[in-house]
Amino acid sequence: MPKRNDNLSGVLELLILKSIAHGPNHGFGITLHVQSVSDGLLHVEEGSLYPALHRLERDKLIKGEWKVTEKARRARIYSLTRAGAARLAEIENNWSALSKGVQKLLRFA
Amino acid sequence: MRLLPRWLSDRLHRSWDWQAEIQSHLQMRAEWSEQANGLPPEAAEADARRRFGSPLRALERAREVHIANWIDDLARDTGHALRVFRRAPSVSLAVIATMAVGIGAATAVFSIVDPLLFRPLPYLQGEQLVSLGLSGPIDANEFLMGVNYLDWRKDQSAFQGLTSMRPAGHCDLGERIPLRVHCIAVESNFLPLLGVKPLLGRTFTREEDRPHGPNAVMLSYGLWRSMFGGQASALGKTVNLDDQPVRIIGVLPADFLMPQAGEVDVLTPEQLDEAVARAPDATVFLRAFARLKWGISIEQAKEGLKPLFQQALQSVPKELRKEIHLVVRSVRDRQIYQAKLGSWMLLGVVCLLLLMVCTNIASLLLAEVAVRENELAMRAALGAGRGRLIRQSLTESLLLGLTGGALGCAASYGFLKSLVLLAPSGFLRLGEAHIDGRVLLFASALSILCAILFGVVPALDSPRPEALKGERGIGLRRTQVRNSLVAVQIGLSVVLLAGAMLFARSFRVLELQAVGFRPDHLISASIVLNSRRYADPARLNALYDELESRLSSIAGVTSFALSDTVPPAGGAHGRPFSNLLIAGHPPLPPEGGMVTFRYVTPSYFRTMDVPLIAGRGFTEADRAGPEAPLVLSRSLANKIFRKENPIGQRISLDGNETWSTVTGVAGDVKNNGVTVAAEPEYYKLRMRKSTQLGHAAVALFRTSLSLATLRTQVEKQVSSLDPGTPVEVTAMDERIRSLNDPPRFLTMMVGIFAAAGLLLAGVGLYGLMAFLVASRTREIGVRAALGATRRDIAVLIQKRAGMLVGLGVLTGIAGSLMLTHLVRTLLFGISPYDPISLGVPALVLTVVGLVAAWRPARVAAKIDPATALRVT
Repeated sequence: MPKRNDNLSGVLELLILKSIAHGPNHGFGITLHVQSVSDGLLHVEEGSLYPALHRLERDKLIKGEWKVTEKARRARIYSLTRAGAARLAEIENNWSALSKGVQKLLRFA
Repeated sequence: MRLLPRWLSDRLHRSWDWQAEIQSHLQMRAEWSEQANGLPPEAAEADARRRFGSPLRALERAREVHIANWIDDLARDTGHALRVFRRAPSVSLAVIATMAVGIGAATAVFSIVDPLLFRPLPYLQGEQLVSLGLSGPIDANEFLMGVNYLDWRKDQSAFQGLTSMRPAGHCDLGERIPLRVHCIAVESNFLPLLGVKPLLGRTFTREEDRPHGPNAVMLSYGLWRSMFGGQASALGKTVNLDDQPVRIIGVLPADFLMPQAGEVDVLTPEQLDEAVARAPDATVFLRAFARLKWGISIEQAKEGLKPLFQQALQSVPKELRKEIHLVVRSVRDRQIYQAKLGSWMLLGVVCLLLLMVCTNIASLLLAEVAVRENELAMRAALGAGRGRLIRQSLTESLLLGLTGGALGCAASYGFLKSLVLLAPSGFLRLGEAHIDGRVLLFASALSILCAILFGVVPALDSPRPEALKGERGIGLRRTQVRNSLVAVQIGLSVVLLAGAMLFARSFRVLELQAVGFRPDHLISASIVLNSRRYADPARLNALYDELESRLSSIAGVTSFALSDTVPPAGGAHGRPFSNLLIAGHPPLPPEGGMVTFRYVTPSYFRTMDVPLIAGRGFTEADRAGPEAPLVLSRSLANKIFRKENPIGQRISLDGNETWSTVTGVAGDVKNNGVTVAAEPEYYKLRMRKSTQLGHAAVALFRTSLSLATLRTQVEKQVSSLDPGTPVEVTAMDERIRSLNDPPRFLTMMVGIFAAAGLLLAGVGLYGLMAFLVASRTREIGVRAALGATRRDIAVLIQKRAGMLVGLGVLTGIAGSLMLTHLVRTLLFGISPYDPISLGVPALVLTVVGLVAAWRPARVAAKIDPATALRVT
């Protein structure tokens, strides 16, 4: 059973999972993807990227395999597992519920 | 095809991967920087590294994740295991208790046999050290004559060096009331060859080892502590040894052990005089030890010594040459002496017991699995892989095993203490057995091994899908495994019991052995005189005469005699049979072996109650006569004279002019312990003014006085003549009984283990039967409903148990036949294939089996079909 950490690492998890859901990728590619899709608003802290990737892999939410990229370079490509997809859906639900609730609160005050 | 299971290969790859992954990340970022920002390659790389931060830190954090992973799993498994234990405390307690007993016993036994069999000797590279010499009927251990030693030392090629010592002796330490201590004279290179460094001071120099050299001594650790309180100022002090001043130049280390495993308090220089040793009639006896050259084995060394051995044989009288052999054996073997087989046997027996403990626990845990099958099936369904379940199960058994093992280590202290109390002193060198770090390490390794052994069986048992429904099935394979476990237990129990019976029967035969004299109400007092003080024969003689008159006049003594040695302790003098010359008869054949002889006072035969079957014994009148009469033992008389009448025959004992007349024939007496047949022997009368008794004698008293009373009297008399001469007073029947102490001890040990094994087997069988009945309630209910009577059902259960017991017993008998012949040299008067010793255990186990199955059978018989069928 994956541990539920505090929200911040949950964000990183979410970013990684969503990015990989878009298509299998390696660590560096995930960094670039997040940066570009969020228009530069979100930066992935590279020092914490790999620990997070390993954590996700340990919890069997993603699967990593060594492959050769087009540039003839060896890189570890991660893809989403079924459990990972389920977890992603769960997190997304939580997030939208959370943001809806926060919005309501803000409007109220 | 995978060489390793995936989880293992993944683990192994992981840490190599991380480095590579981070490298590849950095390279990709550098390339991208080059392309996107137009940075030159080095700048791009530097930038990439800067952004990433320390790769080392990243690696560490990644590693932490995985360690946390591992620790996390362990914590989770442990927590789960503890919850399981709390739910079923009785099973866990049973497992821990059984384990504690098994490991405790094994640890105690290991601490005893380790110093003998396995522990490195307290010498430098002790496995290279050998004891060498000639073995012959004169002495139980190998020895060398001085001249042989000197020649061999000069001409040998297989050894790095030889050293020697004189056979151990006694000496008196101190002045007014001297302390009798163990003294051993050693060559100056003795300690260096063994590789032993003195704790204090130094070893002897060549100067001190020369004849008439300066008097130096080394003290043992124990003596140094007790005499000088462990002070370094003891070095250089002078003390009195045998009325001579000597200087203390060194102290031996605390763990020092003589290569012949004898006690030692003081080491003195050997001061071997070459001229004296080479003299034609020299009687210089030495014990020799050597260090093998690198790469030379004991066999090769022995081969190399053969020519020197042949040379040494030339100086041995022809008749004896056949009885002399060359001996080269490791010092370890020399130290273990006769205890080797006994030690291995104890170790083997305790291993069998431990095996029984493990099978018992495995069976218990298997039953547990059946109970928890529901829960396990649930976990499997939720995605726990087989590996996960196995790991969980092993964690549980390791926890149980280590707890039981820890308790067992604590218990082993107690076990060892009781073993030391029960055992004859000095047996198996029990004084050296300690539970130290090495032994505890062994205990932990053993616990882990046992835990894995009994844990792997239930672990491999995967839960069935039907268990999810809460169906309490039996699992055919599981039952078969439990059946075989119980059968194995029964077999092992049969083997242990058979061994115990063999030893017990052998011991009984031993105890019934007749010794040839009457030991009850017979007390012996051994006196060892100081050889230096009584070097003058006249003085020695006068002392013995005085001693005789004083001791014989002690009130309450029915009969008194003096002798130089006393059976059955051995140590009597011997001479070759062919040395005897019979007047008017042809010379005796050379292959006659040895003849024992003994000097006694006239009342010896009456005191010892040795029957005189022909002629008469000695009288006081004989003692004044010109020549000493002889009494032969029956076997000697038969050997020499066969059908002739020995009385009145004239015999010369040593080939010179003194002749003696045979006055009588006495019954045979066992001289060397209870198991060795009586040797032919003759008795010579101790004449007045003769020097036949050496510096040691034994006074014998036939009396109804208590041991303590007589002891005080004897000590008083002896000390008034010569204070400081120790007197050892023992009751004769005690002596004989103590000769049987080693076999008694072994018998007791095997008996205890066999009883424990029987208990385990009985409990195991009962548990299995009870479990079968409980889990097959529905089937039994069906049978009952279909018309089976109560008796039918009970008989069914009993038959099932009977088949198991039968299988186990057959296996056990086969096992016994194979194993007992290994210990046949420890048995006396009984064959290792003795049918009673095999049959009785089989019978006992059958009865135990029936009893164990009785209650479950009754329970089964009482099952009400209606209630049984309602159980789902």
